[in-house]
Amino acid sequence: MRLGFNFTLGETTPLVRRLLAEGRIDYVELLIDNFLTLDADTLAGAFDAPMGFHIMFSRFIEADAASLDDMAQRLRTLIDRVKPLYVSDHVARFSHEGRQLYHLAEIDYQADYARVRDAVDAWQQHLGCQLLLENYPSILEGGHDAPAFFERLCRETGAGVLFDISNAVCAHLNCGVPLEAWLPVIDASRHFHVAGYNLSILQPHLVLDTHDRPLSDETLAFIETWRERFDSPGATLTYERDDAFVQREIDNDLATLRTLFAQPEVRRHG
Amino acid sequence: MADQPRTDSQLLAALYQPARQGDYPRDSRAFVRIDTSLRVYWHSLFDICPGLLALSGPDGLAIFRPFMAWAVEQGCSFNWAWYLWVYVWLQQSAFRDAVDDELRYSLMAASAARWATGDRSRQRGIVLGSAALPDLVCGWKASSLEAGRQVERFELEEPLPAPAAAFGYFTSATGDLSEGFPGWTDLPR
Repeated sequence: MRLGFNFTLGETTPLVRRLLAEGRIDYVELLIDNFLTLDADTLAGAFDAPMGFHIMFSRFIEADAASLDDMAQRLRTLIDRVKPLYVSDHVARFSHEGRQLYHLAEIDYQADYARVRDAVDAWQQHLGCQLLLENYPSILEGGHDAPAFFERLCRETGAGVLFDISNAVCAHLNCGVPLEAWLPVIDASRHFHVAGYNLSILQPHLVLDTHDRPLSDETLAFIETWRERFDSPGATLTYERDDAFVQREIDNDLATLRTLFAQPEVRRHG
Repeated sequence: MADQPRTDSQLLAALYQPARQGDYPRDSRAFVRIDTSLRVYWHSLFDICPGLLALSGPDGLAIFRPFMAWAVEQGCSFNWAWYLWVYVWLQQSAFRDAVDDELRYSLMAASAARWATGDRSRQRGIVLGSAALPDLVCGWKASSLEAGRQVERFELEEPLPAPAAAFGYFTSATGDLSEGFPGWTDLPR
């Protein structure tokens, strides 16, 4: 399993470079739409390591065709030059009646399926590559529909899933989606995310995907239980941290993940 | 009381309207889900412009609740100009005489920063002008890996004409002001 770290802000450049230099990570995942103003050669030389491209604000399910086409042109230039490990995006609601949602909302997997499928088809054609789609950290009961939704979506569009392990744990803790329900998705996926989460301020507590603290015991247990299914050839796991950059915590989590995925043959038969 | 929603899709309008939170039982997940969403708006406003708390009190609600209701009525999209619409609302509120230039500039800087991090067009910068202030505030998208977005405030030797409304803006495709002044555009809602 190759480990990576998400790079969203220029300010974290020293941190990411240190993690690479110390061998704690093997690649860097760029929140690529934050860096669309950089020319392709600059971006290609940004890190002495492979890169993944994670798209945050294409809003490809909601955006108009002209703006998507314009963004895709710039993304394709970067994709062609950098040849990222993967290109991923989000299935979520970014707005309602023209108003931006500052906390993204989960789609209705049943009612929205056809619209999302068509949008995925179109966005993949724009980008000229396979698109991986991240699962949402479900809060309400509709989250139970997510695993079957992603299986069907991938089957009918050729897209893949960027399976967020801790988002699945959030959904499990919030609304009881069994972790095992994701096994077909995990078996079909090669690229994964993981991060810390936190509780809502108010009760009854919700589990929120905050990316601001160490990995939970539940997340680590999920990985350990299904480690061999996650660790397929070419697999990657991006550790996400977007706030509270406590380097000791980050180093510890990455070391834990390294240990979990170390020497699978020895562990399996030892 | 509203029915317990099964998906976020049934809650969307409540996710940005504080008055709608009371439609759901206080001990329900829907209530907490809405609260979680509203807190992101709250923090986006008061963490970025803490000077607003000096006006409203430490919980911010004297500004937050009426402003959000007004913004929905006005059809605001909560895009990058959101902070400037806060100023427009303040000018119509009981806080009108308490708004100083420092707070005005902080709201302009917040909007410029939000544009620079959230806009996905090919434009590289935005220039904001106020009818009530001499300085311009610019937001620039990342020009290098390390730099991130930049916000700067400056005064031109030869001032631009004031925008007709409270604020105006124009964008730059080059990352500087070499293209000259194309005229002010009204704020988008």
